[in-house]
Amino acid sequence: MSLILEQLLNALALAGLLFLVSAGLSLVFGILRVVNFAHGVFYMLGAYLGFTTVAVTGWFWPSLLIVPPVVGLVGALLEASTLRFIYRRLPIYQLLLTFGLALILEESIRVLYGPTAKGVEPPPLLQGAISLGGLLYPRYRLFLVVLGLVVGAAVWLILTRTRAGLVVRAVAQNAEMADCLGADVARVRTLVFGAACALAGLGGVAAAPMTTAYLGMGIGVIVDAFVVVVIGGLGSIPGSMAGSLIVGAAQTWGAFYLPETAMVIMYAVMGLILIFRPWGLFGEEE
Amino acid sequence: MGTLRGRRVTRLLGSLTVVVLAVLPWVLARHQLSLLTDLLIFGLFALSLDLILGYTGMVSFGHAAYFGLGAYGSALTLIHFGQPIPVALLAGAALAGLVAAPVGWFSTRATGIYFAMLTLAFAQLLYTVAYKWRDLTGGSDGIAGVPKTALYWGGPSLASPRAFYFVVAVVLVVSFVLCRALARSPFGRALQAIRENERRFIALGRDPRPLKLLVFIVAAVFAGLAGALFAPFRGFASPEVMFWVLSGQGLMMVITGGIGTLVGPIVGAMVFILVQEILSTYTEHWMIFTGLIFVLMVIFLPGGLVGTARRLVSRA
Repeated sequence: MSLILEQLLNALALAGLLFLVSAGLSLVFGILRVVNFAHGVFYMLGAYLGFTTVAVTGWFWPSLLIVPPVVGLVGALLEASTLRFIYRRLPIYQLLLTFGLALILEESIRVLYGPTAKGVEPPPLLQGAISLGGLLYPRYRLFLVVLGLVVGAAVWLILTRTRAGLVVRAVAQNAEMADCLGADVARVRTLVFGAACALAGLGGVAAAPMTTAYLGMGIGVIVDAFVVVVIGGLGSIPGSMAGSLIVGAAQTWGAFYLPETAMVIMYAVMGLILIFRPWGLFGEEE
Repeated sequence: MGTLRGRRVTRLLGSLTVVVLAVLPWVLARHQLSLLTDLLIFGLFALSLDLILGYTGMVSFGHAAYFGLGAYGSALTLIHFGQPIPVALLAGAALAGLVAAPVGWFSTRATGIYFAMLTLAFAQLLYTVAYKWRDLTGGSDGIAGVPKTALYWGGPSLASPRAFYFVVAVVLVVSFVLCRALARSPFGRALQAIRENERRFIALGRDPRPLKLLVFIVAAVFAGLAGALFAPFRGFASPEVMFWVLSGQGLMMVITGGIGTLVGPIVGAMVFILVQEILSTYTEHWMIFTGLIFVLMVIFLPGGLVGTARRLVSRA
């Protein structure tokens, strides 16, 4: 019983992190029609900046507030200086441009921080384990579960209950029409791109105490996030949430029962879903 | 280039290229010849990608997997069975094609970005298999000491750099001619129709999926051929040759040279590798500059080198 609970919590913690990354990826696709290959690098940037913030301030909590806006700003600047000019081209060009950006960012981080992984201490409040009905469970993972849920709820509420969210959804549905009705589409795109990067940055900060900050963590997470959005459907936040849960569960149980083939399970699940729903669980046919 | 003059120019350029390829190994220094062999191998890889990317409009982000399968197929054939090089090439290409069939069947169910992500996911899966299946693939160490065997059973050895270069050059030229014929065949025309307007293609009563699956397999076979040359040339096959970075670089080569031109991707692969080679002698952080060049290229030169050159020529 406690084993099942532990596995369930592990799956939820992983799903929380995956959601922070995949929600932004999905959002950017929904609004900008761009698959942002550099998205994983923003996650990595978040983890490294988290390390710096903790090293400078000696505290973990401020990094959760400071890092995401910084990562978001970097993202928004990159969007406004490069991507903005090629929205009219074929999708392949945007994908490749973000691939170029990913190379630049990844290598810049290597130059700045060196090749060794950087560990981040979790805050004292979240260190050690907590007893849950006989099960000793790491507090930090529980925090990730809560963080994923809170951010997921916040993104959902902003998109569906605020005026800004309304404009964003209008641009997603029909950018030309939204433009005619007075929405500043270029600004919406830049802000959404920045917000998505900020989410990825938050994911990176949150992941750092568990995984450390290391080179290559970006591509690791982006491939998982791709699987999440393929399962959930590109451009759909509920889809990201469902996809994160499915991938989190597949990886957790796969790693436990079939350690050698955990990856295969994830792709098998994806393949199975795509046979029945080629555009993902919540996606719409293009 | 459909005019008589254009065709003459093309034929002249083609013959000139073959002559240059035949003469170069006699004038180049050893390390230059080795670099040239590398350029041709990756030229073949980029050429194969252009069949799906340029002619059918399908963005595969997992093409390195088939290059890698070709490399492993050829390496295992050479090490365990000591067969001549052509047998290893066939084995590598066949392995790539065999794996591409089920992957393509799944992936071509989706279109556009979904297709790109599915191919990436499957490629990463294959990479993981190569990484984990230690008994067969040697895990992260890969397979080292792949020999350059003979041209045929009891035939001349291909161990010398010049001999192996000629094998690579002949394979590339033959592959290019085959790909060009394929692009101009009714099958190739149908692929271009899918690229231009898939819905209309369907509305005309044709089913695009079998054609997309077929071209995906054909492209994988040529990529496998490139990988099958790579393994004996470098003497090893490792999971790195299946990694997503190579898939991305392949797309870069095609875009750099000129999408949908067949010649362009080969030129693009050469320029891409040469630029990396030159940059890496100046700085160990060449990836930053590669990325930068690439971003500028995508923004300012969408037709690629060959596409832009052709436009300039036809304007003149």
